[in-house]
Parts: sequence; C-alpha cells; structure tokens
Amino acid sequence: MDTAFKGEHLLPGQLGQFFVILAFASALLSTISYYFATTNANKLDDSWKRIARFSFYINTISVLGIGTCLFYIIYTHLFEYHYAWEHSSKSLPVYYIISSYWEGQEGSFWLWGFWQAVLGNILIWKAKSWEKPVMTIVCLSQVLLASMLIGVEMFGNRIGSSPFILLRDAIDLKASTPIFASRPDLYKNYLTYITDGNGLNPLLQNYWMVIHPPTLFLGFASMVVPFAYAIAGLWQKRYTEWVKPAISYSLFAVMVLGTGVIMGSFWAYESLNFGGFWAWDPVENAAIIPWLTLIGAVHVLIVYKNTGHSYFTATFLVLISFVLVLYASFLTRSGILGDTSVHAFTDLGMFWHLVVDVAIFLIISVWLVVTRWKELPISKKEEETYSREFWMFVGSVFLALSCLQLIIVTSIPVWNSIFKTNIAPPNNPVTLYNVFQAGFAVVVTLLAGFTQFLKYKKTDTTRFFITALVYFVFAALITALIVYVTGIYHLHAVFTLVMLGAVYSVLANAKVLADAFKGKIKLAGSAVAHIGFGLILVGAVISAGTSKVVSQNITGEQYSAEFAKRNDPKENILLYKNQPVKMGDYMVTYMGDSLSMPNHYFKVDYKLMDANGKVKEEFMLRPNSQANRKMGLVSSPDTKHYLFHDLYTHVTMAPLKFDDEPQSGDGHSEADDDKNYDPPLLHEVVIGDTIRFREGYMVLKGLNKKAQVQNIPLTGNDVAVGAQMEVVSHGKTYQAEPVYMIKNGSAFDFARKVEDAGLKLRFSKIIPDKGKVEISVYQQPENKRPYIVMKAIQFPYINFFWSGTIIMVIGFLLSIFRRNKELKTV
Amino acid sequence: MKKSSIFGLVTIAIAIAIIIAAYSGSSTYGSFNEAKSSGSELHIIGHLDKQKELFYDAAKDANYFSFFMKDKKGEECKVVFTGTKPQDFERSEQIVLTGQMIGNEFHASKILMKCPSKYTNDKVEFSEFKAKRANI
Repeated sequence: MDTAFKGEHLLPGQLGQFFVILAFASALLSTISYYFATTNANKLDDSWKRIARFSFYINTISVLGIGTCLFYIIYTHLFEYHYAWEHSSKSLPVYYIISSYWEGQEGSFWLWGFWQAVLGNILIWKAKSWEKPVMTIVCLSQVLLASMLIGVEMFGNRIGSSPFILLRDAIDLKASTPIFASRPDLYKNYLTYITDGNGLNPLLQNYWMVIHPPTLFLGFASMVVPFAYAIAGLWQKRYTEWVKPAISYSLFAVMVLGTGVIMGSFWAYESLNFGGFWAWDPVENAAIIPWLTLIGAVHVLIVYKNTGHSYFTATFLVLISFVLVLYASFLTRSGILGDTSVHAFTDLGMFWHLVVDVAIFLIISVWLVVTRWKELPISKKEEETYSREFWMFVGSVFLALSCLQLIIVTSIPVWNSIFKTNIAPPNNPVTLYNVFQAGFAVVVTLLAGFTQFLKYKKTDTTRFFITALVYFVFAALITALIVYVTGIYHLHAVFTLVMLGAVYSVLANAKVLADAFKGKIKLAGSAVAHIGFGLILVGAVISAGTSKVVSQNITGEQYSAEFAKRNDPKENILLYKNQPVKMGDYMVTYMGDSLSMPNHYFKVDYKLMDANGKVKEEFMLRPNSQANRKMGLVSSPDTKHYLFHDLYTHVTMAPLKFDDEPQSGDGHSEADDDKNYDPPLLHEVVIGDTIRFREGYMVLKGLNKKAQVQNIPLTGNDVAVGAQMEVVSHGKTYQAEPVYMIKNGSAFDFARKVEDAGLKLRFSKIIPDKGKVEISVYQQPENKRPYIVMKAIQFPYINFFWSGTIIMVIGFLLSIFRRNKELKTV
Repeated sequence: MKKSSIFGLVTIAIAIAIIIAAYSGSSTYGSFNEAKSSGSELHIIGHLDKQKELFYDAAKDANYFSFFMKDKKGEECKVVFTGTKPQDFERSEQIVLTGQMIGNEFHASKILMKCPSKYTNDKVEFSEFKAKRANI
C-alpha cells in the first residue's frame, strides 16, 4: 500500500542516495581500472588509467554530493530523515550542525571517505609512476567505505547504513505510537507531529568536537597511503623504492593522527567529567594502537633507507598499522565493546561487513608477503651492536609490543566472542595499562635518548659510552629533583623510571637540536619531535600521577566508621548556596546559577586565603550541566588554568530541573510553597528591631505606607503597608518588602522571598494596640536549599603535556619537510 | 647464538608475559552469590530494582549512594557506591558493577550503566501542541 505522506521533502534524500550509489560504483570502476592499468603489459596504452582517473574524479564529486545533501537536510531541519531527526534539532547553532554531521556512524564514514578522496587526488597529482598500483589500493579502500553507506537490501541483508534513510522507514512509527494505531488516517500527516529532532548530545556541543573528528579521520584516512605504497612495492616488485615516499606519508599520518588523538584528549579534559585527559577507554585505545605501530614503522623505514636493515619489520609495521586502523573501526563500530565502554557505537547491523573490511586488507597483506617472501631484500648480515639502526629497530619492536598489550586487553570482548569465554575486563584497567605502558615507555624513551649518540653502521664505543653516561647522570639528577618536588616517589617505581627516561630523551635530543643549529640542520625534525614526546610523558606522569582531589570531604556522619575508613577519601563536597566552605587552601562558595538554555551554569566563587586570612586571589568558575529530557543530566567542568597547574571543577550532582519543566515558582499555590520551608517563626517587632535567624539577622527599617502591589489597584478605604526589611546573611545585605493589605474589608498579605538567604518573609499582622507588627519568618530547611555537589581536582604541570604535543607536531612537520626534500619521485 | 635470535627470544618472552598478565589481570563476570562466596572483586551485570528505594541525600553525605540491583540470576542485593548518584540512574536498563561483597552489601568501585540512549531507542517522542489556558 502506498501512502502519500504530506510535507515530506524527498528530493534531497533521493539525490543523496543517488550520490551514495554513484560513489560506490565509481570507486569500484576506478579500482578495477587501476588494477588493469597496473597489470597492463603495454606501457603505452593508458586507456585504463584514463578511465580510472575519470571514475575517481566522479567518486570525489559524489562524495561531495553526499556531503552537500546531508548538510542541506540537517541545515533545513528535514526531520523526515532519520539522520537529521536523530542527531540534530532546530535550536542547534550552525557550527554545531557540523558536529552533528559526524555524531552518527554514517557521517563519520563519510568524513573518512571525504579525506580519502582528497588524498587520492593528491596521489593522482603527485605519485607519478606509483599512481596505478597505489591508487588501486586506495580505491579499494574507498569502495569499502562507500559500501558502508549504501543501506540497500541485498540477498536479504542490508548492506551498510545510509544517512538518507527516512524516519518512517528507520522506525516503525505505527508500532511505536499508539495514536496511529487508533487513527490510521493520521499517519499520512505524521510529519506534523514531529516538531523537533533529538538534538545533538550535549557533550558534543563543544568547539573541539567541530575540529577533533576531522583531524582524527584525516589521520585514519592518511594511514592508507603508506599501506598502499607497501602493497604496491610488493606487488610491483619495487621492493626498495616504495620506502622513501612511504616515510613522508607515514610522518604525515602520525602527525595528524597524533594531533587528532590529543585534541580528543583535550576535549575530554575540558568537557567530559571523568576527571582527566586519558582514561584508556577502548575508544581511545583504538585510536592510539595504529599510531604506535606506525611510529614504529617510521623508525624502521628510516633504518632501512639508511642501512638496508629491518626490511621485514618495516613492511610488517606499515601493513599492520592500516589493518589495525580497520580493526579499530571494527571495535568501536560493531557494538562488540558493549559491556566495556560507554563511548562505543552500538551495532548498526554492520558487524560482518566490518569484519570483511578488516579481512580483505589483512588477506591481501599476508598473501603478498608470503608469495614475495623469497625475493624480499632481507639483509643476511647482522646489525652492529653499537649502531643506531640496531637500537632503532629494538625501539620499534618495543612500540609494537606496547601496542600488543593494548590490543590484547582492549579486545577481551572479541576473545570472548571468538572462544565463547566469559572473561571480564580487568578490575583496574587504568592501573594495568598505566604500569604496562609505563614499562614500555621507559625502554622507548631511554632508546630515544642514547640512540642519538650512536651513528649508523658503526660507532666509536668509548666516546659513545662517555657521552651517553654523562647525559644519563645529568638526567638522573634532574629526575631526582622532579621526583622529589612533585612527589612522584609515592607512586609505583616504574613512573620514576619513566620520568628518568623522558628527561634523558629530552636532554639527549636537546643536544642534537643544539648541533642542528650549528649546521646539522637535517636532524632538527627528529630532535624536536623526540623532545616533544619526552615532554608529553613528563606532563602525563606528573599531572596524572600527582593530581589531587581538592574537594576532600570527611563529613557524612550517617554511615559507619567502617564504611568511611574503607572508602576514604571521599571526593565530592556539598555546597549550599551562599554558604562558604573551606576546601583545601580555598574558600569556596556556591553563588547561584544562571540559565542559558540549555546550559545551566553554576557559579562557584574561589578565594585563596593567605596565612592572615586575607584574600590573595579570587576567581569564579562556572561548571555547567544540561538537564536534557532525552539525554539525561550531562555535566561539563570548568577549569582555572595556571602556568604550572590547573584547577578543575565539575558538578557531580545538583537538584536540577529538566529543561522542559517549569522553573521554580510557576503554578504553585502558596500552601504548596510553604512546604518548602520550616514552620514559620513569628516575631512581633517595632521599627529598628532586629530578628535573628539561622544564617544572619534582619532589621525592620521602616514601614512604607504607600506600598504598591503589582496589578492590584487600591481604592477607597484600602490600605497597603510594606515592611522594609534589611536582611544580612553571610556578609551580604538584601532588601525585602513584604506587604500587608486590607482590600474591601479583608486582609491579605504578600510574602517576599530572599532566595539567596533561603528566606521567605510575611508581613502577617498589624497589632495596633501594641504598636507592633508581626513578621513571619520562613526558613528553608537545609536540604531544600539550593545546593550543588561538586568535585575539584588539581592537575599539576599539565601544560607540559599540551606543549609537548605542540612541540612534537612541529618536529613531525620539520621531518616531513626534510624527507620531502630528499624525495625525487619518478 | 646470534644477537638477533636472542632479541627474538626476548621479544617472544615479553609477548607471552603480556598475554599472561592480561589474562591474570582480567576479572570475571559473576553473580552476587559468587561474590559472597569468593569475596574477591568481580563484575556483575544486572538491572536496577526500581521498586526499592534509591538512597542519595547530599545533605547527609554527598558521597554515599545505595540502591538494590538484581543480577542476571535474579538474585537481589543492596549495592553501596562511594560517590554521587550517577546522573539519570533511574533510567538505566542495564548496570555493570565492579566491586566486592562487604558483609551483606556489595561495595561497587565502578558503575557502568546503559541507558536507553538516543543511539539505541527506536521510539519517537511525539509532542502535541495544546492551547494554553488563559490565566486570570
């Protein structure tokens, strides 16, 4: 039965779907044509190549077409499309529409495909004789990415998931909505009932989320290039030539992927509330795993280029890196991580599709290596012990081993599903990862240090030992100082060793950098990158290892001493509004909140006191929460940045109303409102009298005979008197004027609230014979007063971590320039 | 023996050590009953008993949250968590706890909850416009 639905805009979706199919078909044609162009014996015949190029251009245009259609759908709020409905809403600002683009899996696949198309065009332009075989692989990868977006039923299974699927096709509206069951005639007008989309997850409404995913996916996408070169080298038996261009592209990939990962970590630090910059979450691991192997690959590629050693290791690491990128996308997108990660995507029905994707590239790699094995230029000679190449090789193997540890532990759900076991992830994954990875970091950083003093091929041993040792002693002294000052010695000993390794690596590479300024400019890139890497570790170890919960809370009288002892220290602190609390060196006060929909900002005032109780420093932090009906309460921290430490604050609990609930005050009767207060205390007072209450005092300053109450006109004998009260609470003064009124012979009174002091005041009676007035004072009981529960953490020296990243990226850039200069592609 | 063979052996040894450490460091999924009998730390999957009280009162203790959970075998136990009530806890469909039994209470050191999030639910929320009554 065909129903004509009212108000749908089907054109952009049909156009988009057309581009999806076109992108898939053109990528497939391009792959096939490049394959035949490569295998064609007649070198003068470039007809295949022309078809291949042409279809790749079509593919690029289709990918752009998909993006444009999707953007149009989200931008114009066409909620008849599932993607727009699920990931955006009308209130979303334009720049976050970009983030909603890649909130879903389909959008992030598109992003990946987009970057791969860009890289493909660069390769067509630059790769010269490598174009045909390299592009065969890139196009194959493009085919698989496009297939993820098809979303068409084939052989009873849906292949991929299209971003252009209609809401009514994605969700059975008739089944989920009773109104259509009873009134099927309304179904054709279903769009009139859908007034807004689900909206973007509040956590993603952050400027880092606009640039972090594109960077990360450019990193992932660019990993295909060195892989394609390695495959092309094996396939075309150009075993040694592929290495040089692969070095440049690998450096580019690790630079971009590294930047993307750290951007994600910065986003997590700034806007997630897990209290740190790295949590070893499977999603984070999935991104760092291929990065580590490709870093290793870069080093052995350089070894091979300079000495002819480590050919197999280099090839292996380049190949495995891309396979691991695909494996990572399988882990995060197939839903297999279900019980172990909160961040992973759920299954879109693409489990086997993703498995096939990994398998195809794995099989190609293994098959080529095996069939070409005898011809590979693997050197039979051993490396010298005192040679740079040997230790670079050792370092790369250790990077791969550290990666192995990450893979094995992160993949526990995969082992469970393969071997039908029921192993749970470690109880303390963070400690396990930290200790293991720190162990590898010790080896890797020490190698990155002393290898600088070695030369390729053969080194003068005595001189090497003297320099290496002198620097080591220096490093040990500096490390001792750092460890003592920051208190790292409280931690597991391995972290002290990491610090030593990192410092050693920074010092040794600083020497290389100094030499670089004296003329050996070629070495600057690697030196700078190593220094950056060392600083990252220094920052990570100090700030993660010695971060301190400032908001320690030793109250909580209700529970047994046993409980308190076992679970000490407690990390959340309760702040009532306007009631200062001492927290560490600070005096903190919850000042109130402000609403800027959909964010609920809590103003927390920090005062740093000196010994005499004088305020040395005062600042305000505004952590925020969103109470969103569809996504629940979501908190984001606010951080005070100092040069040498950060003070991080986030609200863990607050009596917050959902954004669609009426805010306080509306629609409640007076009697209801009184329930929010303790029973009133009545005070008979004259002008000038003082009334004390729990958190301060108030003075009756005067009586205002001409009091006005909004909207109530006074006539004839009506009287309205206001009691001018001055309320002082926690050093602040407030004015309030409750009103007593006689209108048409009946008495009324109008209460006034002083929210900040938790007070409601009523001018309840005039007692003419005593010459006094009666003021009823309502105080809010403690638990009805506005409060927040928050957590504050101090992260020392975290700026080393961020600045180390920047330095490392600069190092990569310098290296890319250098390698590109050496590169003369034929 | 050649240097590369030695290094190869070292590499293999480390790789084996990693696998063993990963296996021995891993935990098990279990039930409250197993937690009681073994007393060791484990993971328990279950769901919140929404009939019973969720206790969190920031005014009394901002770091104490207790609730009742039924594990997969249907056994119920009181769970205590040192910290604030995770946001939106009532809506959780499935909970994975990490922790151990202390007396008759399960003390959780980590709570991972799955909500019927926007990623998984296939229910459209419909909104209807109602005319506002005039307030007099």
